[in-house]
Amino acid sequence: MKRIQIIAVISILFCAACQKEKIIIGTNVSETFYVDNAGASMRVLVEGNNLSGAYLIFVGGGPGVGDYFYNTDYIKQNIENKYAVVYWDQRNAGGSQGNANGVDLNLAQMTEDLKKVIQVLKYRYGKNIEVFILGHSFGGLLVSSFMTTADYQQMVKAWIFVDGSQNYPLNDTLTHDKLLAIGQQQIAQNKNVTNWTPIVDYCKAHTGNYSFDESNQMGTFAASAETYIDSVNQINYLNTFEKYIIPQDWPVTSIAFNYLYSSNAPFNYDLYKTQFSTSLYKIVKPVLLIFGKYDFICPSGLGDDILKRISTTDTRMVISPVSGHDVMFQDEVLFCNEVDKFIEQHR
Amino acid sequence: MRISKFFLTIVFISISILCSSQNKDSVNVARRTTNLIFSYNSSLIYPGLRAGLEFPIKIISISKQKKSDKKFFFVKDRFVTASLSWYHHPCFHDNIYLTAGWTMRRTISTGLVIEFSPEMGYSRTFLGGTTYKVDDNGNVSIEKFAGYNYALVSIGGGVGYDFSKTKAKPFIAFYKFNLLAMYPYNSTYYLRPAMEIGLIYKPTNFLSHKVKTKTIMK
Repeated sequence: MKRIQIIAVISILFCAACQKEKIIIGTNVSETFYVDNAGASMRVLVEGNNLSGAYLIFVGGGPGVGDYFYNTDYIKQNIENKYAVVYWDQRNAGGSQGNANGVDLNLAQMTEDLKKVIQVLKYRYGKNIEVFILGHSFGGLLVSSFMTTADYQQMVKAWIFVDGSQNYPLNDTLTHDKLLAIGQQQIAQNKNVTNWTPIVDYCKAHTGNYSFDESNQMGTFAASAETYIDSVNQINYLNTFEKYIIPQDWPVTSIAFNYLYSSNAPFNYDLYKTQFSTSLYKIVKPVLLIFGKYDFICPSGLGDDILKRISTTDTRMVISPVSGHDVMFQDEVLFCNEVDKFIEQHR
Repeated sequence: MRISKFFLTIVFISISILCSSQNKDSVNVARRTTNLIFSYNSSLIYPGLRAGLEFPIKIISISKQKKSDKKFFFVKDRFVTASLSWYHHPCFHDNIYLTAGWTMRRTISTGLVIEFSPEMGYSRTFLGGTTYKVDDNGNVSIEKFAGYNYALVSIGGGVGYDFSKTKAKPFIAFYKFNLLAMYPYNSTYYLRPAMEIGLIYKPTNFLSHKVKTKTIMK
């Protein structure tokens, strides 16, 4: 029995040692810490050159997609070498942990979470660090919420919007129109006719005032549509998993179960009617918008809506001709060059 | 007439099942010692340890006469188990879990062991990094021993070799695959596969107690 007690004590001491605060400043750091808020302990990984004093926070998509996926070798070699990249797993996503916390899974709470992540970054690395936020897909909605809430935008230097959405009802309309227009073009050119026909037929039969189910159906069509376009660089997800699961210590089942839960959680119903277009006038910070030409999930028309409404002229919009919804993987060179140039200009 | 035929058939079948003339069963009570389990509790590539006890509850020795006149002998053991386990997943969490279980083990005369064991218990995780909390005024503090409590169930099965059968050594070497499920994990489940490689030591006298033993000859 004594042996068991000794093992237990050693284990607890070992675990406590893992949680000891240790802050490294350098050109090639990799530090994981957690931010605890409203029943969720959210994983934050800071990697790269934090000696630069510039921190780029990736606000991932989903909801429920962890930030593990964004941590690629190319980003490591072309952004992390110059700045620190902050991979934040939102609540109920990736390696974030908690108990029965589903009741707190909503956009307002996630906006507060993001604020607290930035507060912790400034606590750890200094008040004068320069924070940039990058929202991808659903992360665009979350970043829009953050930038238009109170004076939160003062915590960041600038924001980057990548294949994101700030307005889900407008998003549905743009997705519908793009699926229909490009679908008809492709059929006329006799390309992937069997795949495009049901999409075009569906869009012709559903013309507006979309229900939740219609919105989801168009989202499903949008995800597959980019795979029918010859000029889009397709992503091999299996290769990504094989390459990173072990070296990056992915908690695979946590990533999978968090995604399954979040992507089907009740708050998705609230999201589908959510929009921040009418609040965008509050934004005075510079913005970089990057879209894939063949992004049917978040079409570039959403970027036009942002440019039209924000209260700054310090903007830039870039369209990748070879990308769909994931420009950071499909056009890595363009993505990293643009992000690098934008951060350098706004430091 | 039909009813009596049906009745006679039932009686005939029952007699042939229940009154097998070649069975010689005996039931006894014997003192048996408690086994100790030590294993490397790897969660695929991540390290961990497990230590536990096996309290024997029932032992059934079965001897079968094969058609070729050869005798086939095996033992069915039933144990109540208690274990303390730990695994370390870098930057994610450390998990310490205490479980109680029911192990069903079958050992054949050559020493080959197969077993199956459902378990349930309590898990406490410790997050894999410094954990911060921010209050409404923006004050940041560090949480000590941050982590979560979960209910845990596990099912596992494995194979092993009992050295006491052929080499008179009091231990079993085994490999076992377990699937852990923790709840409520972010309002859903957390599943984790774990593999054990270890030894079960059978001391000559450690927490020994009376156990029902049964011998069945077929």
